[in-house]
Amino acid sequence: MEQTLLGRETERTQAERTQAERARRRRTPTPRTPTKRTKLGARDRTFGFMIALPAVLLFIVISIYPLVSSIGTSLFDQSLLRPERNFVGMANYSAVWEEFVARLGTTLIFSSLATIFPVVLGVWLAMLLNARIRGRNVLRGFLMLPWLLPGVVVSFLWAWIFNDSYGILNHLLSLVGLPGLNLLGNPAGAMAGVVIAKTWNSFPWIMVVALAALQTLPSEQLEAAAIDGATRRQRFLHISLPHLIGPVALVSVLEFIYNFGNFDTIFVMTGGGPGTSTTTLALSLYQMAFGSYELGKASAMGVLWLVLLGVIAGGYLLLNRRLEKR
Amino acid sequence: MTRRSEIGEAIVYPRLSIPGKVVLTVLALFGLLPIYWLASTAFMKRDAVFAIDRPLFPIDPTLENFIGFFQNDALIRNLVNSVIVSTGTALLSVIVAGFMAYSLSKFRYRGRNAIMVMFLIGQLIPGALLLISLYLMLNSAGLLYTYTGLILSFTTFTLPLTVFLLKGIMDGLPDDILEAAKVDGLRSGAILFRIVFPLVVPGLITAAMFAFMRGWSDLLFALTLAGPDKQTLPAGLTQAFIHEGTADWPALMAASLITSLPLAIIFIILQRYFVSGLAAGAVKG
Repeated sequence: MEQTLLGRETERTQAERTQAERARRRRTPTPRTPTKRTKLGARDRTFGFMIALPAVLLFIVISIYPLVSSIGTSLFDQSLLRPERNFVGMANYSAVWEEFVARLGTTLIFSSLATIFPVVLGVWLAMLLNARIRGRNVLRGFLMLPWLLPGVVVSFLWAWIFNDSYGILNHLLSLVGLPGLNLLGNPAGAMAGVVIAKTWNSFPWIMVVALAALQTLPSEQLEAAAIDGATRRQRFLHISLPHLIGPVALVSVLEFIYNFGNFDTIFVMTGGGPGTSTTTLALSLYQMAFGSYELGKASAMGVLWLVLLGVIAGGYLLLNRRLEKR
Repeated sequence: MTRRSEIGEAIVYPRLSIPGKVVLTVLALFGLLPIYWLASTAFMKRDAVFAIDRPLFPIDPTLENFIGFFQNDALIRNLVNSVIVSTGTALLSVIVAGFMAYSLSKFRYRGRNAIMVMFLIGQLIPGALLLISLYLMLNSAGLLYTYTGLILSFTTFTLPLTVFLLKGIMDGLPDDILEAAKVDGLRSGAILFRIVFPLVVPGLITAAMFAFMRGWSDLLFALTLAGPDKQTLPAGLTQAFIHEGTADWPALMAASLITSLPLAIIFIILQRYFVSGLAAGAVKG
């Protein structure tokens, strides 16, 4: 799969490789098991480590250190409005705990719904597009567009569609004689609205992953099953679906984690409202830090979130490892 | 022989049933109609959008919304900032990640797995969790509201992305070439610069474009770390349009279209690589 990224270069190197392999076989009559280890000495290993350093150091400075230092900030009463800060211990944590639990509920609702819908839609579309249709590739290309747009554009567009006075949705509803909705103006509607926008934004990604998985499906298996009399439904349930489940599970976990931290979709469409109905953890943290300038409390919120993320990330790593082993 | 493969083809790629076609049409419309509405609103006159008997397509198309964008100094500054910051992010990420990916792909040393895990997890850290610390750090380093600060903060999410993308590509390089070069007496540095990098130029460009796209689309950091002068388009649009009572929707849609255009162009260039890049799981907006 990664070889396609190299394009024409791969073809050239592949020719070289087969040549080298032929030469090697001549020398060694017993076929060697291919090893992943390159035969490089200690000096090369030092070189390998040295060239990794810039990225590692940069990443520690801009990602790891900020995470760790936010634990420190969370122990202080610190505000953007005052230069000095006072140590308050765990006080910030007890102050934000209730807010954290409440926002966690909203976040879980949003990220679950905004994962389930794109996954169902994406896999469904992949199954349909894996058939013989004229203009299949063109259609697939166009269906990538929602994924391509920047998050803010997706949000603007759906806010415009859902706009209660001039939006096209209400206009179409009125054409068929239905009353208009003020979707983003009520709590349940606002949640539905951001979930729809995020679903529209994410389904192409899932679709492409599922399509790629379907296309690596060994056709012999399907043919053999068909010859043995398996129906289309059976072939789907017992061959295609098991083949899909690994990659789709992986992107679902990733999608869930990304949605958990989503900021732009919700911020632009509802700003967390009405009330706090769409205020997720990311929105709440942003408002605390840059709306009321409470850096200490916002950091405490972030640390609680970080602990939770650790658990989810652990699950992702486990899944990733299991899939790599297969 | 031909007959058999035709049958096989029909099993692997079956024809769609009628209900299947209906469902495909409905789902495809859900995907495509909003795009149509984005584009057509951008060409509509302001009055047409607010009229009661509004048209569903631009009957009397106009370019005034696009012209308005380019007459707005603040938006032009946003556009220039976006180009500078996204390009800077792409370059920094690819240069640093290029070395890193080669190291992870072709060398085995102690700590390698720890580094891999660090970047894997790094991919999952939401920007909101880094926001406050980055703000304080950039502030004390005097980099708040600068291009450098913004590029560094964007690198938090583009670096893991480019590392894994490039590692996947370098894994595809056969070790034999590297060993042959070594036998020929090339030093490690020469192998990297004269053999490895030239071979993966398409991959480097691909990774750079992905990083560019991610930087181009960011809102959170641009909103908080850029300040009014260095703000990129997503943040600029949000501030220009969203907090006003009634937004000028055609102008906003035109601005959105302009914001999306570079990404569409990159998509067309990279189309071939998108599927594999996406499937590698390393890419997400």
